[in-house]
Amino acid sequence: MRQRRAHPAFAVFWWLVLLFLYLPLAVVVLFSFNAINSAATFAGFSLRWYVSLFSNDAVIHAFYNSMVLALSSSVIALVLGTFLGYGLYRHRGRRMGWLIVLIYLPIVMPDVVFGISDMTFFVRLNSMFGILKPGMLTMIISHVTFELPFVALLIYARFVNLDAALFDASKDLYAGPIKRALYFVIPAIKPALVAGFFLAFTLSFDDFVISFFTSGPESATLPIYIWGAIRRGISPDINAIGSLMIAAVLVAALISLIFTLKSRKREGNLN
Amino acid sequence: MSNISSPASRGSAVLHLLWTTGPSAAWITLFLVLPSLYLVSMAFLTNGTYGQPEMPLSVDSFRQLAGYGFLGWSPGNLYTLLRSLYYTLFSTALTVLVAYPIAYYISTARPSLRVVMLLAIVVPSWTNQVIRAFGWMNLLAPGTPISTLASWLGLASPELGLYPSSFAVMLGLVYNFLPFMVLPLYSAFEKLDMSQLEAARDLYASPLRAFFAAILPQTLPGLLAGLVLVMIPAFGMYVVPELLGGGRAMMIGNLVATQFADGSNWPYGAAGSILMLAATLLGIWLLRRLGRRLGGGEEVVI
Repeated sequence: MRQRRAHPAFAVFWWLVLLFLYLPLAVVVLFSFNAINSAATFAGFSLRWYVSLFSNDAVIHAFYNSMVLALSSSVIALVLGTFLGYGLYRHRGRRMGWLIVLIYLPIVMPDVVFGISDMTFFVRLNSMFGILKPGMLTMIISHVTFELPFVALLIYARFVNLDAALFDASKDLYAGPIKRALYFVIPAIKPALVAGFFLAFTLSFDDFVISFFTSGPESATLPIYIWGAIRRGISPDINAIGSLMIAAVLVAALISLIFTLKSRKREGNLN
Repeated sequence: MSNISSPASRGSAVLHLLWTTGPSAAWITLFLVLPSLYLVSMAFLTNGTYGQPEMPLSVDSFRQLAGYGFLGWSPGNLYTLLRSLYYTLFSTALTVLVAYPIAYYISTARPSLRVVMLLAIVVPSWTNQVIRAFGWMNLLAPGTPISTLASWLGLASPELGLYPSSFAVMLGLVYNFLPFMVLPLYSAFEKLDMSQLEAARDLYASPLRAFFAAILPQTLPGLLAGLVLVMIPAFGMYVVPELLGGGRAMMIGNLVATQFADGSNWPYGAAGSILMLAATLLGIWLLRRLGRRLGGGEEVVI
């Protein structure tokens, strides 16, 4: 395809938009190194807010909760979502209207309504039967619910891109279902499994609204802690936590970039 | 594979469908469909002493949502609804205006550079939305350079700054949703047939005319997909108005959430949730219908 040329004004606009996108993040990072407790004036470089994070039990506990929640919910979502994606693929000839509605429901439902529905439901169950007290367990359940469709759609997309003849070939080799899964299906969709896990993990780690409504007093995650700290007006250490979370995202972005460029190169070599 | 005809294997195909999709379907039904049905039914109950729903059945919550209280009708909730619509439409329009040139510009770059540029647009949305809103709070608060500049230009009063305000909420919405408009528009631009634009230029069409004749029809599927991804969640946004808006810039999501947190009137909040769900479904339906009518077809399936 012929290369298009854009007017130089587009380049100027591009850099302005990048400034708009990164300025709020840059401010958080900058003030995390502030020597004084101020969000308006920068009074010299200091690491005091980072140091104070490591002695802050509430922050460490919130980080631990975030990790437990993200890990356990994304493992469950990965297992359920893989089966769902596989089922959707093998039965894609059927009309599965209701199933499709079910899969899209967690994606389109406003997260406030999602969180409140689950919260009222769990509170009700708890008062009636004494089960599902709001806390880590209820958060994990809700997180699996919103991660599941994303994982399933990723796995489904991977299956669609596979050559369908491979399935028949593996059957022709008289492999049993377990062997087929272990030696054929799982290796074939491995990239999607990895991507699905990381997507679910990120969605969970990042989520605030649904966690906020389904959490209990002991199960605050990092975003909930930050929210509370903003609400109480205690802000200096928020910048430090925020900067660490931004750094984690940048590392993830770098890794995904390297993977994309690598796989492009591989495709380029094949052609 | 799925169109096997012997009855025995058809039975096993149904079984296969059940054990692969059944657990997930049951999970979503149990932990989202049932809870939301419970929430919907709650709207028809009476508000109890402790904010918990009680019998008997009533439609008080809907009357309250419509603005009827002890003191007669007040327009507060109507304003909140209109404000939510206004914020959503205005910030979506801004998002479209910013996303079009950006998506086009990315599509003109070298292919290896495009990956980096798309990533640069998406990365900020990977950071936690509470932190992003906090960044804007720091940028727009009174006394910060941006606020000082705005007050010097007469756009804001020096004591109040730019936050909390409606302006801050809409800025926050655009900031949040820009990537979701750029990505689908970019994939539309990638497939764009430039000869139409060149033809328009050769016929001395003004840039605006050329845009509407040659670019808009071709990027329409991307635009509609972007509208679904931006408008629907923007309308239900909770974090941005809560942190950047203050009390006067409340959106419908905040009105609903308040009834479950400090307001403690669950039936009233449930009635608000029904309104939000209805608005979501209506929005999706309208955009899909628009997509079909304008020839976007099934590409706009969310």
